[in-house]
Amino acid sequence: MKTNIRGWGGWLLLALVVAYVVFLIVAPLTALVQGAFQNGLREAGQSLTAKPFIQALWLSVRIAVAVVAIQAIFGTLTAWVLTRQSFFGKALLNGLLDIPFALSPVVVGYMLLLLFGRNGFLGPLLESLKLQVAFAVPGMFLATLFVSLPFMVREMAPVIARLDLSQEKAAETLGASRWRIFWQVIFPQLKTALIYGMTLTFARALGEFGAVLVIGGGVQGRTETATLYIFRSLDERQHTDAYVAAIVLGAFSVLLVLIADTLKRRRNAD
Amino acid sequence: MKTKTLLVTLLASLALTLGACAAAPSEPAADQVNLILGAYTTPREAYGEIIALFQDYWLAETGQTVTFEESYLGSGAQSRAVVEGFEADVVALSLEADINRIQEAGLITHDWKANDYQGIVTSSVVSFAVREGNPLGISDWADLTQPDLEILTPNPNTSGGAMWNILALYGAALRGGVAGVPVDDPAAAFEFLTQVLQNVSVMDKGARDSILNFEMGIGDLAITYENEILVGRQTGQTYERVIPTSTILIQNPVAVVDASVDKHGTREVAEAFVNFLYTPEAQAVFAEHGLRVVNLDVAGQFEEDYPPVEDLFTIDYFGGWEVIMQDIFGEDGIYNQAIALAQGDAR
Repeated sequence: MKTNIRGWGGWLLLALVVAYVVFLIVAPLTALVQGAFQNGLREAGQSLTAKPFIQALWLSVRIAVAVVAIQAIFGTLTAWVLTRQSFFGKALLNGLLDIPFALSPVVVGYMLLLLFGRNGFLGPLLESLKLQVAFAVPGMFLATLFVSLPFMVREMAPVIARLDLSQEKAAETLGASRWRIFWQVIFPQLKTALIYGMTLTFARALGEFGAVLVIGGGVQGRTETATLYIFRSLDERQHTDAYVAAIVLGAFSVLLVLIADTLKRRRNAD
Repeated sequence: MKTKTLLVTLLASLALTLGACAAAPSEPAADQVNLILGAYTTPREAYGEIIALFQDYWLAETGQTVTFEESYLGSGAQSRAVVEGFEADVVALSLEADINRIQEAGLITHDWKANDYQGIVTSSVVSFAVREGNPLGISDWADLTQPDLEILTPNPNTSGGAMWNILALYGAALRGGVAGVPVDDPAAAFEFLTQVLQNVSVMDKGARDSILNFEMGIGDLAITYENEILVGRQTGQTYERVIPTSTILIQNPVAVVDASVDKHGTREVAEAFVNFLYTPEAQAVFAEHGLRVVNLDVAGQFEEDYPPVEDLFTIDYFGGWEVIMQDIFGEDGIYNQAIALAQGDAR
């Protein structure tokens, strides 16, 4: 599909697009990297190995991994139900799934606080069970689950819709069990979308800020994720700490997206 | 096939991590105790140092190691978080009304004002941060209505510092501390408040955010805690402090949260920490970080850094926090009326 650039119009378009991307992505990234190393490698190294940062990053990764695991299963099931089955209220369910896209994460945090806080609807129940959700990791996990809900579903649904039904029918005719059909016929076709969806979900979970701040309270060493650590470092004028943490977090996400893209391309090449 | 291997590895590591997450936290040892501090945003540098001093003190005194978990939010936000279930053992907030909220929720049950300092651990005065060399020649409240002046002050709905700012401004106007505004004329004072609010360009959620934005080059003037300006200058900022002739004495309370310490079994160490904050050692740290301290001996040592204010008033001038929360910051209070008017005019 590639064509050679023709005439000045083509060149102008190319220049415009390059300028746009450089302005939006490359320039801020350069500023960030420069900021991180402005006081030398040594200070950047100290920021990288600071205990509060490691703790915060580890909490972020734990929450993100748990969220990805849940979304991989329930997101796929949801996508399956939405594409393969027709039922009353399907459009409504479909619409509900997009709410996390529309709501500000801060609002999500407050909604959960209204539900799980000491004075929340479920507050007394949680109190009697001695469970702490608000201002604790479970609440942050739920908040992250909420904001990352649509990614898996929206990634999987079109792929499930495109599945070749005749292959399933053929396998069935040949006497394969449903379990075997799923693992040997359906799953291989979903694999790439699954990994891509998991990657997006992971990146979204890692980057969440507002919802986890409200529901977690940002307590150092307890409910402070990597994004909250960056926020606090800036508040404390520890700029190198903040910039280094931001680079690590950014690198994580970029790496994941690159892996996912490679997988997708290889899949398309097959 | 490679994708499959990757997927299996991914799932395996998921399972492992989930297992690690589920593992219950181990019970703390007897020679260790954990304290949760919920504080407002501006004294964080001071608390960082005082906590280290207290850890040494407590270890020497009892042989116990104290670990700290700290949270710094706007005073109002922090107070609401505690009410909503954040189990801070000790709260250090900007103003009494935010402690009262926790008390009204039934979480503080003792008389937290029952010490020599009525529960107030530090104080400050509402001041202006102006650009280096004071290019606009700001010297007092009356200068804040200059046309096109851009003022930063945080949002009183989330920030204690913002409430102090409004009280200082409105109080100074009522007391005749603003040139052109007659003494004891609420209508004129309200008019002045509205005029200043019209010049407010950014309302951040906390005092620290506000001064950081000022550092980023936004605005001509920030109304803020004196200590925010002094701490900023310690980190190399070049803005200057202007203390108006009439301003309010900011009084910052600290209290043990009974519900939390009883649940965590940390009452003894929490009370010791609060008492430690009044020692000359800790008070000196506060004074080094821009705060006017309540211990008079220590205050004397730092006299030079903290010039006296010509007309300094306290919340008692307004009749106390209960009156203030209703008449000034209540739903139909003076502040809400003024901000509605100011924003309406801006549109």
